[in-house]
Amino acid sequence: MLDAERLEILTESAKYDVSCSSSGSKRVNRGGGIGNASVGGICHSFTPDGRCISLLKILMSNDCIYDCEYCPNRASADVKRASMTPEEICELTINFYKRNYIEGLFLSSAVCESPNKTMELLVRTITLLRKQYNFNGYIHLKGIPHADELLCMRAAHLADRMSYNIELPSEKSLKLLAPQKTRDSIMLPMKKLQAATIYDKENKIKKCARVIPAGQTTQMIIGASPESDGRILKLTQALYRNMGLKRVYYSSYIPVVKSSKLPQTGAGLLREHRLYQADWLLRFYGFDVEELCGEDDNLAAEFDPKCAWALKNLQLFPVEINTAPLETLLRVPGIGARGAYRIIEARRFCRLNFDNLKKMRIILKRAKHFITCNGKFYGADGEKMIKASLMLSDDMHRCEQLSIFSKPSETFAALTGEL
Amino acid sequence: MTFYITDGSEESFYTAVFDCYKDREGIITCRGDLQMTLDSTFRQIKTDESKCARVKNKIAEYDGAALNDIKLVLRSCAGNREQTALEYIRLIMQHKRPVRAMTHIPAVLEMEDIRKKVTGELHKMKGFLRFMENDRGVLYAPYSPDNDITDLIAPHFAERLKNQKFVIHDIKRKTAAMYDGNEIVVCHADGADIYLSEYEQTFEELWKLYYKSVNIEERPHERQMKGYMPVRYWKFLPEKRQ
Repeated sequence: MLDAERLEILTESAKYDVSCSSSGSKRVNRGGGIGNASVGGICHSFTPDGRCISLLKILMSNDCIYDCEYCPNRASADVKRASMTPEEICELTINFYKRNYIEGLFLSSAVCESPNKTMELLVRTITLLRKQYNFNGYIHLKGIPHADELLCMRAAHLADRMSYNIELPSEKSLKLLAPQKTRDSIMLPMKKLQAATIYDKENKIKKCARVIPAGQTTQMIIGASPESDGRILKLTQALYRNMGLKRVYYSSYIPVVKSSKLPQTGAGLLREHRLYQADWLLRFYGFDVEELCGEDDNLAAEFDPKCAWALKNLQLFPVEINTAPLETLLRVPGIGARGAYRIIEARRFCRLNFDNLKKMRIILKRAKHFITCNGKFYGADGEKMIKASLMLSDDMHRCEQLSIFSKPSETFAALTGEL
Repeated sequence: MTFYITDGSEESFYTAVFDCYKDREGIITCRGDLQMTLDSTFRQIKTDESKCARVKNKIAEYDGAALNDIKLVLRSCAGNREQTALEYIRLIMQHKRPVRAMTHIPAVLEMEDIRKKVTGELHKMKGFLRFMENDRGVLYAPYSPDNDITDLIAPHFAERLKNQKFVIHDIKRKTAAMYDGNEIVVCHADGADIYLSEYEQTFEELWKLYYKSVNIEERPHERQMKGYMPVRYWKFLPEKRQ
């Protein structure tokens, strides 16, 4: 059985992968086995850094032949090395799962010996888990760049979700910081997986036989390289729209590794948070990246991206709550997706006033500057006043650039790994 | 003012709705600790199946989904659950149609809030419930939810752990759901003597170690952790128990 020391090493090595979602798959428990997938995902615990634990996130091995600058497990690093056998991984997964500690397995690995050898071992592990242990819970498998396409497709038939990490937002940075990985070694398998997903859908393949039912995700490190938020978000938008990705994760750079090619300070949680906010606006609020952020600009630190957009487009406001269409309501700061739908539903029955909105939990301290109710306007007058009012109504702590040594009370909500 | 005292069951509640419907001053409750006034009177409700059926049929006629909403709300720990459900039923009768979208009416929002608290806890417990294995391979999970959700949560685990036997035990309400590999039985259960399997300690220790190792110490955010995982649930979580 797995000993404590190796578990510790292999968990420590895996924890910088942000993704921990267990959503998107409806896998059922067949053949009297163990486990199924819950389509909305289930969080099983939360760690003191505010992230959820949903999957057993672990590396099969941290003994890497690659030498990526930013990675604590790079070949030239002086760290303890460990690895686990497929049987050990299966046993741990099943026993954790049975006790309802976890929702499934998130298996990744350093590249040991060769990409193909590593990928083969990963595939063997999840094959064992699915076939021998009859495990129908969630499996997220990390793809190994440069590994054979056939191995990747075999994995896709067993896993619920797969991810190839883009790591750095541009090819130039990738060359500098992860010289053994190429853009193609990451993007080509992603394209192959997308093609397979589309093929299954178009040919109406049985739901239970489809590849990666929960789709693909990826992750980028923010602040280890000089790309602007605008460039990062542009890439994100392309990944959602052209590659059909489910999620893009951002990981704010933490200087755990000393290198002359890397910045000495971390990127800060606020920047990461703003990127996630913008990411949500791209996916659920009908925004285009061009509206949120110029190509070489960064997102504003003092306002959230929606507020910043509204302030730049004050000529479009205020909008009348009782008549504005859904797309417009979604663009009002302080009105979220749920609030917008509630307004649409409720105004079929009566004309809404500010009191109704408050009871519906619309955040009026932000929304009041951008809406009218039955023609009444209670917001501040002019751009300057609105800005001042929005700044005041926000918790003042939120406006500082945070360092990683900030006390918990000052640390801003970093919504990583939430979904 | 009249108090209609139910025994806490759904049937008893619907009987009370039948009796209380026209009494605008009436209050339905199953609690013992009532705020009484000098002129209050009490009526102990005796479950009447025909009254219950008449009320349910009438509600179903206008809004089929409302019955399930009411069922969930009655599971809540909120003191005003029966009263909120009664008002909600009155609204359905008044409008002769589903009222769930009329979120400008306070009772509709209140109803939704209470229901969401129940379904929210149901969802959270699917994650926070912790089983331990006894010496005969039966999984046992003690817990103490705010709302009475034991029979609602059991099917989730029966589907998931099809090939296992398990017991989910609500310590506070002294009820337990038992699954023997075939069907679920919910019954009264005071206490339980558990003899843990020899591996139990090992896996619990590995889990605690995993929990400790996966945390990124450089970015502490305890407030968020406690927001998602309230402290009152911690006593049943091995990774959080002191």
